[in-house]
Parts: sequence; C-alpha cells; structure tokens
Amino acid sequence: MLSRSEVKSKISRYPEFEDAALSLHYARRMPKAMLKETQEVVAIARKFNDEVGRPLALALDRKTHEDPNFFPWELVKKANEWGFYTMWVPKLFGGKGYNMPSLSYFVEEIGSVCLGIANVICVHYLGIAGLMMAGNARVVKKVMKEVAEGERTGNPCIIALAITEPTAGTDVEEIDLEDKGKITCHAKKVKDGYIVNGSKIFISMGHLSKWTVLYAYTDLKKSSESTVIMMVKEGMKGFTIGTHENKMGQRICPASVLTFEECFIPDELVMLEPSSVKKFTDQKVRDIKMRHIDYIVSITRPAVGSFGTSAARGAFEAALKYANETEMDGKLMINSEWVQCMLAEMYKNVRLGRLAYTEANYANQHRGVYNLLQMKPIYYMLKYLPKAYFDTVMFPLLDTRLATWLLSKWYLDWQKPKDQHCCTGLGSLAKFSCTDIGVRNCQMALELMGQTGLRHENGVEKILRDAKLLQIYEGTNQLNRLNLFKSLIAPAFPKARVFEE
Amino acid sequence: MITTFNPDLKPFEELAISFAAKELSKSVEEHDRYPFGPFFSEVLDKAYEVGLLGITLPENFGGIGQGISTLCTVLDHIAQVDSSLGGIILTNAISQEIMTSGDGELAKNVFADAASSSSFLVAFPSFSNPGQTANMPAAERSGKDFTLKGRLEFLVLGNIASSALIPGRLSGTDGYSFFLVDLSDTGAKKSEPIFTLGLHACPAVDVDLDGVKSRLIGAEGGGEALFEAASNKLHTAAAAMSAGIMKGSLGEALAYAKERSQGGREIINWSEMRMILANMAVKTKVADLCVAQACRAIEANVQDWGHFSMSSALHVHELSCELVNDGVQALGGNGYMKDYGQEKRYRDARQVQAFLGAAPLKKLCLIKEMIG
Repeated sequence: MLSRSEVKSKISRYPEFEDAALSLHYARRMPKAMLKETQEVVAIARKFNDEVGRPLALALDRKTHEDPNFFPWELVKKANEWGFYTMWVPKLFGGKGYNMPSLSYFVEEIGSVCLGIANVICVHYLGIAGLMMAGNARVVKKVMKEVAEGERTGNPCIIALAITEPTAGTDVEEIDLEDKGKITCHAKKVKDGYIVNGSKIFISMGHLSKWTVLYAYTDLKKSSESTVIMMVKEGMKGFTIGTHENKMGQRICPASVLTFEECFIPDELVMLEPSSVKKFTDQKVRDIKMRHIDYIVSITRPAVGSFGTSAARGAFEAALKYANETEMDGKLMINSEWVQCMLAEMYKNVRLGRLAYTEANYANQHRGVYNLLQMKPIYYMLKYLPKAYFDTVMFPLLDTRLATWLLSKWYLDWQKPKDQHCCTGLGSLAKFSCTDIGVRNCQMALELMGQTGLRHENGVEKILRDAKLLQIYEGTNQLNRLNLFKSLIAPAFPKARVFEE
Repeated sequence: MITTFNPDLKPFEELAISFAAKELSKSVEEHDRYPFGPFFSEVLDKAYEVGLLGITLPENFGGIGQGISTLCTVLDHIAQVDSSLGGIILTNAISQEIMTSGDGELAKNVFADAASSSSFLVAFPSFSNPGQTANMPAAERSGKDFTLKGRLEFLVLGNIASSALIPGRLSGTDGYSFFLVDLSDTGAKKSEPIFTLGLHACPAVDVDLDGVKSRLIGAEGGGEALFEAASNKLHTAAAAMSAGIMKGSLGEALAYAKERSQGGREIINWSEMRMILANMAVKTKVADLCVAQACRAIEANVQDWGHFSMSSALHVHELSCELVNDGVQALGGNGYMKDYGQEKRYRDARQVQAFLGAAPLKKLCLIKEMIG
C-alpha cells in the first residue's frame, strides 16, 4: 500500500502518531515483572484499606472537625509500619524500590476509600520527587538514609515540599510567570550557607514532616534565575511551623504554614543553586529551573490524576451500593434504566481517568523521569541484586561528585525538549481531566442519593469536599490546561504564545 | 430581579439585606461550626422577632402574610451571606404551607400562640419527598387522635423545634398522611444532630417514635396531595436560595479577582479568569430571571405554574452546583479555606439542590405530571 518511507513520513507529521498513542508503542518495552509488582502493590493497598483505611477514614475526618488542631500521628505510624514511606524509594537509596508507576494504582486504591489518607501516605513522594530531581546525590543519600531508619525505628521520617507562597501559587509553578509574581521567600548567601527569610503556605504534611524541600530565591525580582533548592529539618533555628490551615476537605492531611526568620541553612543541605548549575550544563539557569519543575510535575500531576480517578471511583462505588440497596416504587433502584445509565456514565469516568494517568506514566517511563529505572537490564539488576550490594558497593559512591554530576546530567540536562513536552503535557492532561471527573462523579452520586448522600457517615459528601482540592493543587486546572497547550499544541504552531496576552 | 418587577417588595428586600449584614455576615464561619460549635440561637430569635420565620403565613396566624415573591426575595439575600438560616426559613415555610392547607384551625393555634422561636418552628423532613421514601413511621388510630411508631430520618429542625410535621402510613389507607407531633413527648427519641455536607446551622436529626400521640393534618391518606401543593410552590423558594448562593459566590470571586495578582497583574486581567467569571455571571443572571419569572407564574396562577416552578428550580440548582465549583476555583487555594466564603457555598449549593427530594426523582415527578 505505502512504502516504508511514506509511512514514516505520514506518522511523523503533527500530531505524531507515537506521541498520540504511547501505550501502543511502549507497553511491550515494559519489564514483565513490573506487572506482578504492580499487582502486589494493589493487593497491599486493598489489605490496608480493609484493615486500616475503611475503619478509620470517616472517624478521623470527623475528629478533625471536632478538634481543629488534630494531627494524624497514629495514622502516620501505621503507614510507616506498613512500610509505605520507603516502598517507592529506589533500592539504591535504601528503599524497597517498587516501580514508580505502580504508585498511581496504589493511590487509586487508597484514595477510593479516603483521599486524606492517600495524601498522608503519598505526599511524602512529592517531597521525594523534589529531593531527587534536584540531582544532588549526596543530600539525597543523607535524607533517604533517615527515611529508611525512620521505618526501622518506628519513628517516621516524612519529606514535605515547600514551594507555594502566600502571594504566589500559580506563579511559582510556571517559569514564564515567576519573575512577574510577588515572591517573598528570600535566601541570602552568607559564609557556609544561606540565611532564609519568608514563608510558605498550604504545605501538605508540613507539621508531620522531618525534612522539607525548600525553594528560596536570592533575587526576588529574578527568582527564575536565582532559585536555591535546599533541605530544611524540623527544629532548625529560625524555622517554625505555624497555623494548621482550616480546609474544606482532605482534612486528615494537614496543610501547614512554614515561617523562616533568619534561618541559617548550611551549604551541605543546599542541593541546587545557580552556581552549581554551571557545573553540569551550558544551559541557562532559568531553563534548568523549568526542567526541574517540569520533572517534578511530570510525576506528581499524573499522581494527582490517580487521586482524581480514586475520587471518581469512591463516588461511583458509593452510588452503586446505594442503588443496589435502595428501593423506589417497590423495586431496587439498580434495576431502573436511568440509574443504570447514570452508573455507566460514572464507571466510564473512572476507566477514562485510569487511561489518562496510565498514558502519562508511559510518557515518564519511556521519555522521562522513570526511563533509566525502567530499562530492562537496569530494572532487573535493581530488583534482584541483594540489598548488601547496594549498601556496600553503591551507597558509598553517592557521596562522590561524579554521582551528583551524573544524577544532575541525567535528570536535568539530557532530556530532549520534545520528550519533556510530552511528559509534562500528558501529566497536565491526566491532572485536569481526572480531577474534573472526580468532582463530576461526586456530583452525580449526590444527586442520585439525595438526603442519604448528604450525611457524613455515608462518605460521599466527604469525597466531594476532598476532591475539590485536586482541581487546585499541583497547579490549578486552568494552569494545567495552559501547560498542555504550551507543551502539546503550541510547539506545532510557531505563532502561538503562552502567558503573554 | 423580583423587586425590579415588583418595587412594592423593596422594604422586605432591605430588611433581608440589613439582617444578613448585621446578624449573619460577621460570624458565618463560626455559625457553620455547628454541631461542633454552638448553635446560633440568638440569630434565630432575632429572625423570629422580625418575622422572617413566617413570611408566607397569614397575618392572623402570626405570620406576615406575604406571597412567594417576598419569600424568594428574602431567601435570596439571606443565602447570599449564609444559607443555613435560609434552610430554616424554607423548612418552616413548608410546614406552615402544609399545615395551613391541611388544618387551618390547628395551624392558627400552633403559630399564632407561639411564644418563642422554637414553638414557632415546626420540624419537617424537607430533604425528601415522603411519597418516594420507602420507610416512614406507622400510624394507628387512638380515639380521636393517632399514635406514631417507627423511625423517621433527617427531620430538619428536629432538635430546635417544639413540634414536627411527620409523614406516616395509616393502616388500611392508601398513601401516607401528615401528623403533628409534640417533640417533647417522651416517646420521641432524637439522635445527635446529623453531620451534613452543608447548611450546618440548619440542623437535622433522626427521630424514633414509640407510640407518640399525634394529630392528623388534612385527610387520611391525603399527605401526597398536601406535599405536592406545597412543594410545587416552594421549589421556587429553594431555587431562590440557590440563586442567592450564586450571587454570593460571583460577588466574592469578582472582588478577589480584582485584588489578587498573578504574573504581575490582577488576575481579573487574564482572559481565562474573565471567561470563568463571565460563565458565572451568565448562570447567575439566568438563575435570577428564572426565579423571578417562576414567582410571577405562581402568583398569576398561570396554567401549569407548578411545572414552571419545578423546572426553574431544577435548572437553577444545576447551574448553582456548577457555579460554586468555579467560585472556589477563582480563589485558588484560598477558596478552599474556611477563611473565605466559597467553600461553604460549594457545600451548601449541593445541599440546597436536595431540598424536597433528590434531583433525578424530582425530574421523574415532573415528567410524570406532564404526561399524566
């Protein structure tokens, strides 16, 4: 029919077929053991839901209303006992090394029972993403060691990520807006470190975290070129954790205000600063900053997509249970056509959500942040080499400059812009589509259930409250739509400009 | 919009605006903490004193004898600030409507002789259509009166009202009937306040009745007819609450968008934000018009006014549930916090949508009436 070159030419034209159907191209490249590993992860999540999640979810949420200063310490300890805070930490850094995409399915399972509990467990990996993507092997090793120790000693070591500021939310997630934003968290270079002044808000799990990945800026007018990414530990002088935000939902997972007053952070905890960028790349500091942010959100936005899917699923399951148990005009509601169509619509939303975050995972697995770990030889080596090998051979190497250079080079310099666009664009697609359907399914469940749905003890009203936050954090859904346009549509249309109207 | 059509109602509008500003606006978040904080009894007493709890009740019954337009005007302005009080006003209006139609003499005795807000309130399961409820108490004749036995869920105002209007099934009779019950009867066991999605300060309880003496309201088996007559009109009142929530949400979003900056300029100057606000404005204006025209249709007694009332309400509730989502979104993370009003509206809108029954069931009722 067509010559090989004609086929190649046609499928390379915008929209490039490989970009448009990632799963079709990449599924076969996935190591087979990943599927079994993911099945195990789903089974663990279901067991946790049966034994811990379901019995606790509504009671804990109610507790947060009764006592606004409540913190879920017991839940955090439970999650720690179940090994959740090291489950997706690479073996190289002392963790269990489960494949990262499996975290999405885990989130969907846990979140379908309680988004707050899912966040208490999984926002730790947002912190880890910020830590890893800064590319400093020495600091990663130091902090991850404490995470592993925290699990062993029963004293959880959670990592938070602090970017959002009181007057800058969207601005600090988008490089084109950042320098025009009202950014206030200042880092001043002094001998042997930085002095930080300013505050961060909406920091999930801030109160319960041992370490926080902190973004501060040496020049508040040119923050995109002056970002300093560092680690700050609880109890450091000048670092205080203030108010506990009074949120509508996801109340089990506290959002904290962090304040820095003349807080000295030593050089040994600084991971990325303008001068260190020059050591591994000729690219502009600004571009590397955007790449760092893109790398993080390429992981976290599909994860929020799985949160959204879990909300859609939780609402669907509650509506299904109600329809299956409730009679109307002498017959079960589940046997009415209109109810069946409504449930089918909700089920469809869940499945489409799962496809959206899975596709974004495929992008990360083969064109982005997970690609190194998912190459078959490396995947199997990491999976089957004994822990002692990592502890004795690999772990000491992480302190070397070469390790940091390699990590920085791999994560921040070598990814092609086209691949970066694919990952960040699909991350945004998963984020806003899944979270929109999450809220949509809650609305449908509430309509179906009437006054039964309004009661706290039946769970759906909580999902509606919890789900709304998903449309806001990790970049509002509006920012994510613009990021999709910028990443997946605008590159093919040179006249298109984003954030410049 | 209602007072544009009917300027005579301006004094009631001003009363509602002033009451909301003075008594509600400063403590919305505090009032919303119920049942984990104190109930706003003082506000309720003041609402009773100025007549807000009996807007459509005839004057000789102790009300202020106004029509649906006045009720909607007041509910709109109250709900712009705090729809919980609106929920109380609406629930009491449903009870009053059913009682005055079913047994005028008794209604007169209950309301005209009321000495306090609690005795002026009559609890009612206002988030359901009793005809679509599988379980309700059983009624038995006991001399001139009746006794009720069984459980009724979600009795709104059940823990703050002296009496309740309760649907019950009378053996040997088709359908259901309404009964007036004294809630201080020892046979009436009330649950703790139900913790609900929204309207936290419009409380509800479950009640277990064990041989509680009650008075029949209307004819035996006449509950459905009484409920339909009342709800046909009061769907529009619920819609007015939704319209009020929408106006409140739009107002707060507009104010925030003028103040908050992003990328070096006020967010109101980004076109996507303008589009969000424009969509909110379109929905709000349409809702306002729907409520006003439904009021006119009811008061002019046009043919099938009940269909207009219910359709308008269903439409306005849907618009409201969509709009409050954008209302939170316009404020970003701040919109999700209790320091602002948007998160409460996000919850309240869904709860208001459920007044007088689940939305899909109301739709099925409408089409059933239309096709006969």
